[in-house]
Amino acid sequence: MNIYRQELRAYRKFTIIWTVSLVGLVLLYLSMYSAIAKDADSFIKLLEGYPKEVREAFGMHLESIASLLGFYSFTFTMSTLFGAIQAMILGTGIVSKEVRERTADFLMTKPVSRVRIVTEKLLAAISTIVFTNVIFLIAASIMANVVKTRDFDGGVFLLMTLTLFFVQLMFLAIGLVISVILPRIKSVLPISLAVVFGFFAIAAFGNTSGEEPMRYLTPLKYFDTAYIMKNGRYETPFVVTGIVLVGVAVAVSYFVYRKKNIHAV
Amino acid sequence: MNVIEIKNLTKYYGKSRGIIDVSFDVKQGEIFGFIGPNGAGKSTTIRTLLALIYPTGGSATIFGKDCIKYAPEIMKDIGYLPSEVFYYDGMKVIDLLKYSASFYKKDCSKRIKELSEAMDLYLTKKIDDLSFGNKKKVGIVQGLLHEPKLIILDEPTSGLDPLMQQKFFELLEEENKKGATILLSSHVLSEVQRLCNRVAIIKEGRIIKLETMSALKEENFKRFKIDTAEDIPKNYFQLAGVNDLQIKGKTHSFLFKGNINEITQKLSGIKIANLWVDEPDLEEIFMHYYSKEG
Repeated sequence: MNIYRQELRAYRKFTIIWTVSLVGLVLLYLSMYSAIAKDADSFIKLLEGYPKEVREAFGMHLESIASLLGFYSFTFTMSTLFGAIQAMILGTGIVSKEVRERTADFLMTKPVSRVRIVTEKLLAAISTIVFTNVIFLIAASIMANVVKTRDFDGGVFLLMTLTLFFVQLMFLAIGLVISVILPRIKSVLPISLAVVFGFFAIAAFGNTSGEEPMRYLTPLKYFDTAYIMKNGRYETPFVVTGIVLVGVAVAVSYFVYRKKNIHAV
Repeated sequence: MNVIEIKNLTKYYGKSRGIIDVSFDVKQGEIFGFIGPNGAGKSTTIRTLLALIYPTGGSATIFGKDCIKYAPEIMKDIGYLPSEVFYYDGMKVIDLLKYSASFYKKDCSKRIKELSEAMDLYLTKKIDDLSFGNKKKVGIVQGLLHEPKLIILDEPTSGLDPLMQQKFFELLEEENKKGATILLSSHVLSEVQRLCNRVAIIKEGRIIKLETMSALKEENFKRFKIDTAEDIPKNYFQLAGVNDLQIKGKTHSFLFKGNINEITQKLSGIKIANLWVDEPDLEEIFMHYYSKEG
């Protein structure tokens, strides 16, 4: 597990920065809740002023936004967006950096198989995401309990928060498969941002058009917080799609990387 | 016994040539030179042996095992030094060496100490802060710390100062005496001449010559450049063994292969303003000599 340890070390700073940002964001949002809850009626009136399309693109549901979970689910759109970017950068970079930083000749002439390299790197990436999510969950739960005006359903809160992890897993897998299929990635950030914002645009468009099949096109919409709030569970078809997506992306990554030519730079 | 056996190894990058039908063997305990101009296919061959790239055709075995199929197993006993070394950002030399050692199931700390002392390498410095030559030293220590049975070097001496180069060669000879087989690629004829028992010469992706060093040593090329003090006949240096004769005013330059005394005799007959005698690099020899053999 030496590659795993090496990757954890290499991504320590990256993980801490993203975790702090995500936690900071959710704390900031939740801290605004007490003010909004106090003045719920005028807040809803204010939102009514926005066109319906804009509200739906940003996942604002007037009927629930004044409740803690409703407000949390609204802010969560941003959390998943940021989380997706973190995971995408991680997935796109963790294997391809060896070639980009010209360290492939070092690593790949060691007595390790390519399968082991991908496996340990993938495990390291998942570990950093787990770390982010654990900290995020703890911070968000504490803050939610501080700002709540009345009791909320802890189970639903957990279900909602966990979707951050699942979305990140999907983007990690998507990033990995893209990085392995493309012959060479010069810069991780533009690709990562383009993919995530591309999916975000599809998601926003899907919200306004209201077409159900559109949701399958973007992992950002696999977990509908409104549905989770209402039913206390995830939608099975989307969960299955998500699992298939991750499974296929990871399998393809292994398959391609096993036979990939590693060129000298 | 052959440590490396290469049979009809071919690699195309899409439609462009990498190597074509490369075949040669490297025997146990040998220092084998692999020479050719830049872009001839030396690195392609070596990278295929190391399973960094996959052959289009043919095959190669190392220690009797297919070099692609059994790559992870074979790598336990291979030390590799690429022509340019790059390492992870922010790591100290010792961290990198320890990381490298962690891939081999043996204790390498004593070797790390010995090698870095021999190569004058500071272990506590950050790799990013090292000069090119010092990075190269890290590469050398890294490639040898697990006492590999086969050492593969791709243009190893670029960036090393002559003193270090000397030390490095001594280190390699020592490893060789202890039983290590060495495959060394280079485009500098003199370093191959200095170390190797046998050489393969590659040109435009094909092996054009496979020779023992003693045979190759007879092909002793020198590059002469002479500034004369007075005008001399244009064909003054037109002797057997002289190639690529170029005359610019009072400057005559040519490539010579043969008995040096013939030239010195000629030189004594004229007034010389300045004189240079150089070891031509292999590329030059290829251009003016092997181009005829095609």
